[in-house]
Amino acid sequence: MSEKYIIQIKNLTKIFGDGVEIKALDDVGLNIEQGEFMAIMGPSGSGKSTLLNQIGILDTPTSGTILLDGVDVTKMSDKQRSVTRNKQLGFIFQYHHLLPDFNALENVMMPLLINGVKRSEARKTASKMLEEVGLGDRMKHRPNQLSGGQNQRVAIARALVNKPSIVIGDEPTGNLDSKASDNIYELLRRLNREHNQTFILVTHDKRMAAKTDRTIQLVDGKICEDSRNGNDD
Amino acid sequence: MFELDVATRHIKSRRRQTLFSVIAVSLAVGIIIIFMSMMGGYTSILIDSTTENQAHITVMPKEGEDYIHLYHGLENHIYDLEGVEGVSSYFQGEAALQYKHNAEGVLLYGINPEDENRVVNRDKYMLAGEFTSIENPGSRIVLGYKLAKNLDVGMGDSVTAQIPGAEPIDFTITGIFQTGTPLDETMAFVNIERLQDLYRSGDVITGMGIRLSDPYASEDLANGIDRETSYDAISWMEQNAEILTLLETSEGMVYFFYIIIFGISGFGVANVLIMIVMEKMGEIGMLMAMGTSRRSIMLIFLLEAAILGMMGVVVGCILGYVASAAIAAITIPIPPEMYFGMDHLPVVIEFKNFITASVFAMVINIIAGVFPARRASKMDPVEAIYSV
Ligand SMILES: Nc1ncnc2c1ncn2[C@@H]1O[C@H](COP(=O)(O)OP(=O)(O)OP(=O)(O)O)[C@@H](O)[C@H]1O
Ligand SMILES: [Mg+2]
Repeated sequence: MSEKYIIQIKNLTKIFGDGVEIKALDDVGLNIEQGEFMAIMGPSGSGKSTLLNQIGILDTPTSGTILLDGVDVTKMSDKQRSVTRNKQLGFIFQYHHLLPDFNALENVMMPLLINGVKRSEARKTASKMLEEVGLGDRMKHRPNQLSGGQNQRVAIARALVNKPSIVIGDEPTGNLDSKASDNIYELLRRLNREHNQTFILVTHDKRMAAKTDRTIQLVDGKICEDSRNGNDD
Repeated sequence: MFELDVATRHIKSRRRQTLFSVIAVSLAVGIIIIFMSMMGGYTSILIDSTTENQAHITVMPKEGEDYIHLYHGLENHIYDLEGVEGVSSYFQGEAALQYKHNAEGVLLYGINPEDENRVVNRDKYMLAGEFTSIENPGSRIVLGYKLAKNLDVGMGDSVTAQIPGAEPIDFTITGIFQTGTPLDETMAFVNIERLQDLYRSGDVITGMGIRLSDPYASEDLANGIDRETSYDAISWMEQNAEILTLLETSEGMVYFFYIIIFGISGFGVANVLIMIVMEKMGEIGMLMAMGTSRRSIMLIFLLEAAILGMMGVVVGCILGYVASAAIAAITIPIPPEMYFGMDHLPVVIEFKNFITASVFAMVINIIAGVFPARRASKMDPVEAIYSV
């Protein structure tokens, strides 16, 4: 049965601080299927980013296990974590975090180059990806020559270029107006359907969350609601 | 090598910081090359003039004896040794020279001018007259120009020599020399046989000078002569041990000074890199999220240190070369009797100085890069990403 889940989280607890302890995640259990398009909601400080960073193996838990594709990432060495992040995970943040000294194409090429892909091949794959997010005509532009929405699209292309099985987004539209947000959501939804990649998105926007397959509500580090939205096709 | 890409982009985009660190490194490299060239110049001038103006090895009598007897055999033996270019036996004694009311104490050297010329080229330093004029045993004397000035005598004048235990005797001045050393004030040459007669010593000498084709072989050869003959053979290095030690000490001091200069430039580079690391925190976090290993992050900033260092080294070498060449080209208005008759500052531009300064600078730069690079590689990716 377990092969069905791309992500399996068991008894995940994260406590911050040595003096005053903050339980950011409290015994969380969660299973996510391959290809799911889901939203995480909850009040500020409820542990959404913390959970996302645990799934993204950017941080280590205080206790509990996380299996990505059946492999326990909490037992990985630093090097293995880097490789897993590069190959299996794509990241989108509220701010695009593009490298300012590189143009759009070079930014999208970066995960491929980190993976050791040849430059010529990386260029081909990256330009295809940029075209897919609708920026085929902006490849040579630097981040400061692009709009917020365009930069976020470049960031999405970068997150997806290595064909990761899991894409996580921490308020990926948090910095955009509602029209640009809608566009980004439609783009993510389309990519999710085309590539059957798993998307986990943190959002404060109920309207956006309603467009996903599944919504999780976090309060005080606990999952208090887990609902299907009936958007599945 | 995406690490190199990221490193070069960082440097290209931070023009001001780059300029600052290149100036710091190139000034350090340039100044040190100039210093090394000048130090090298003074050292080589000092050593050249020493090895030119002195016998490379001096053989002295056995311990407790005043003379070397039967020296002709020794002379021949030494002549046959490998690397020996000239041997000059001398008889040395103290005397007072007198002209009218002036009197000066001198060291009288009895020599055979032809032999002596082969050990130290006295001809070269003649201001007037001929050194070889004292070839035959006669009452002729060749003396230093300062001594002549102090006695107020000139060519052809007659001076009276007071030798302990002998009648005063007159010498005619047939040559005046100038070496640019204190010898100009205290030394006079006469024919060796003449001096032996005056001292009634018989056919003996007080010492023997030897010239070698390679002055640096003198230490070994002197030791060899010491062992073989039981005479006391002293190399020029031993004779000038104090000056050589002084040179070495000052070289050591100068290295200390180099380290300080490089240290300052290293701090400059470290400072620039720390600024870049702080500024690029979010970027470093994102690179880590994309799967860049900590090792690669470290490498990026070490590469930046190396690139900044390399640019500084190239500029510094050019700077050092141009400045050294310019200093060497300046004619200085100092009296020729000072500084061994030079009219230029002694500058020796040596390739190995450029290598030393460059390697030194690169090592210091990379050391300076280690701290910022470690700091970048140790960053917590979550903190780095959310810091923006
Ligand atoms: N590095 C940290 N050190 C200490 N406490 C932390 C740290 N990171 C998060 N926390 C705490 O953990 C809790 C959860 O934080 P988290 O960032 O996950 O909240 P969030 O749900 O993402 O909130 P927001 O919607 O405002 O982004 C908060 O109380 C926060 O103060
Ligand atoms: Mg958050």
